[in-house]
Amino acid sequence: MWLEEVEEIFKGYLPYYVLVFLPIFIIISPANPVSASHEFPVYRMQHFDLHGVPHGCRSSNINLEARSVSGWSTSRHCVVAKLQDLTVDNFKSICTKAGALIIVLPHNVDKLKDEDYQHLLLLENAMLEEEISIPVYFSNWTPELDTVTTELLSNIDSNDLTKSAAENIISSVAANGYQVVVSTNNPSIKNDVKLATIHGHLQGYGSNGKIPTIAIVAHYDSFGVAPDLSYGADSNGSGVIILLELVRLFSHLYSDQKTRGKYNILFILSGGGKLNYAGSKKWLEDQIESNEGSIIQEASFVMCLDTLAAGDTLYMHVSKPPKEGSHSSQFLKDLKASAELRQPVTVEGVHKKINLADSLLAWEHERYSIKRLPAFTMSTLKNHRDFQRGTILDTKSRLSVERLTRNTKVIAEALASHIYNISNGDLFGQSLDVSKDYVETWLNYLSTQPRSPQLLSNKENPLVNYLKDNLGKNLRDVKITYTIPDKRDPSFQFYEVTKGTMNIYSVKPAVFDLILTLAIVMYLAVAYFAISYFPNMYNAACTLTAKKMQ
Amino acid sequence: MTLYHFGNCIALIYVPYYLTYKSSGLSEYGAFWKCFQAGMIYMFTQLAKMLVLATFFPDNVGDIGNDIIGEFLKSTVDLADLIGIYVVLAGIPGKGHSKVLTAGIGWATAEVILSRAVFLWVGARGAEFDWKYIEKCLESNISLVQHIVTATLVWLWSRHDLKSNLKTIVTVLLVFLSYKPLLLDLIVKMLMAGPWMGLLIKALVTGVTGFLTLIIYAGLAQVIGIF
Repeated sequence: MWLEEVEEIFKGYLPYYVLVFLPIFIIISPANPVSASHEFPVYRMQHFDLHGVPHGCRSSNINLEARSVSGWSTSRHCVVAKLQDLTVDNFKSICTKAGALIIVLPHNVDKLKDEDYQHLLLLENAMLEEEISIPVYFSNWTPELDTVTTELLSNIDSNDLTKSAAENIISSVAANGYQVVVSTNNPSIKNDVKLATIHGHLQGYGSNGKIPTIAIVAHYDSFGVAPDLSYGADSNGSGVIILLELVRLFSHLYSDQKTRGKYNILFILSGGGKLNYAGSKKWLEDQIESNEGSIIQEASFVMCLDTLAAGDTLYMHVSKPPKEGSHSSQFLKDLKASAELRQPVTVEGVHKKINLADSLLAWEHERYSIKRLPAFTMSTLKNHRDFQRGTILDTKSRLSVERLTRNTKVIAEALASHIYNISNGDLFGQSLDVSKDYVETWLNYLSTQPRSPQLLSNKENPLVNYLKDNLGKNLRDVKITYTIPDKRDPSFQFYEVTKGTMNIYSVKPAVFDLILTLAIVMYLAVAYFAISYFPNMYNAACTLTAKKMQ
Repeated sequence: MTLYHFGNCIALIYVPYYLTYKSSGLSEYGAFWKCFQAGMIYMFTQLAKMLVLATFFPDNVGDIGNDIIGEFLKSTVDLADLIGIYVVLAGIPGKGHSKVLTAGIGWATAEVILSRAVFLWVGARGAEFDWKYIEKCLESNISLVQHIVTATLVWLWSRHDLKSNLKTIVTVLLVFLSYKPLLLDLIVKMLMAGPWMGLLIKALVTGVTGFLTLIIYAGLAQVIGIF
């Protein structure tokens, strides 16, 4: 009976070819999932090669079922976990056996307990140790994402034997599942990589021929487990800020003939500081090879600035203890004298030989020391392996502006007393002084932009241009040198796709659909009977009204 | 789940329409074209309504409850639906059950195709599951009953041989039905009821109005002798 009726419809009204075309339309119509109710920006983990060694995660696409950190079991699951809930061990097992990993960052990075902070630093470092084959993404905390993770944690695990079978069945039918989709391009090697190194100098005053040079270097890039989240306020935002402050102060002094010092001061903002100081290396090679003879060859010392707001002790890292009477040892004395005036700052010298067997250099000054220039690094960190030098937790809110200003002041005073050869250094004050406002303005600017090298390596990068313009206002001969990795044997390589959009769809298990179909069939059966018994109801209504009329 | 879920929704929404069409015997009268005409008139009416709404209520957004008078005026435009149904009824010759059924089913089908098909196609086929598609489907089933009731009431109202006291009831019901969506929205909002509760309230209200209409209709039908 049914078949006949269907046939009748087709004969009467619908042509048969609809049967052919409708499925085709369904197939070819764009089947992209509709805009999901949950959409989050996510940031991919680091992905780069350094000296041929791969680092970070290698893939980018996710289309998997979400599970909690304890509930996943196969490679068809994408683990969605809070950073605090991860440990190094389960991170490693996820990386080898799960399908993907989404890490939700803590809600308030600034208000982390010290213990948690240390744990996260450790974890972040462990993540970058090895190459990872699964996609790993980071997402900022949002209330929606929080509910998703909480719900995932509360879902009953089907292998959980403490629950009854009935509970398991119900939960497997009615559970709210989530599907995580991140669709981006496949990671590909980034072309046209250029690391900019900006330099410029202040011309010193000297009567006879050669004027000695003081070089001040700071790398301006940052590093963290995800490029788009590495704001690097302290490492190396603080170094850049101190350098810019020194540029401002000394360009004032050098602009007047009377207060011009006997040294040239060369300022270098190097790129690729987190890539084995590639920017400094290239720059130095260029300068030494150039025919004109660069002022760097007359350097009495090279001072590198690195992470200068982490503590009150300034460490002067050297590869070779400075000889008595050399400029470096003189500067160390000036520095100590300057620090004594400004409690609680102290100065210490740290000596570490260059380890040529290690492919990675410890501090930036080693690049200069290798070329036999007297160099040292100023830092508030004692060890170059300190995790604080490359973490996404290095944000503005964790940094003390007062301390940074104080350390800037100490260095500026020491430098000034060295240049003008005045022993009781208290040269800056009143109208010309280290300005907290200036420091804070720069900090605000630098710590709101992720400065990972892969983000800054494109042509005409606005941040690089802005830094260049700022140096250009105060310095002479401001130039940019580009470091371009060798085509055949690149010392570093970046990969595209550093961020994407994650969609989380709430889905139901397939069994749920079947049960829904059953329910609908039952409902339709009820509707069918209701409609077919409608005449009886009508008759009943007729008798009712008939009685009334009589 | 996607396409399968879409199939589920389609079954839930259109099968009751088909069943009603079949078991009412309209297919035997060849009333398909009349239903189609009703649908065309529905479209025309909606177009006219939209023109009016766009002209006089340009800020047609906003949560219900903020501007009750504005919403009330907007619902007033829905009275045009009654005129549309009247035109449909006038276009169907004869009298009897099939007349109101044709008008009601044609009108409701046009609505369900125009307002739900795209919605389901875009929504229910996606990977994301949401109960709202099932809710909308059930709501469409309710609106089938509602449109048949409205068509019946309009027909009753157009009859001159209806008793005057009944005519008052019919008029009140007609006006009530026009403002029903607004009233129900307000009630649901006041009760802070969830979507399922709202659906139940709608079903109940439609059931009660339907029952009243059935009694009046049955009375009149016996008097003028249609069976």
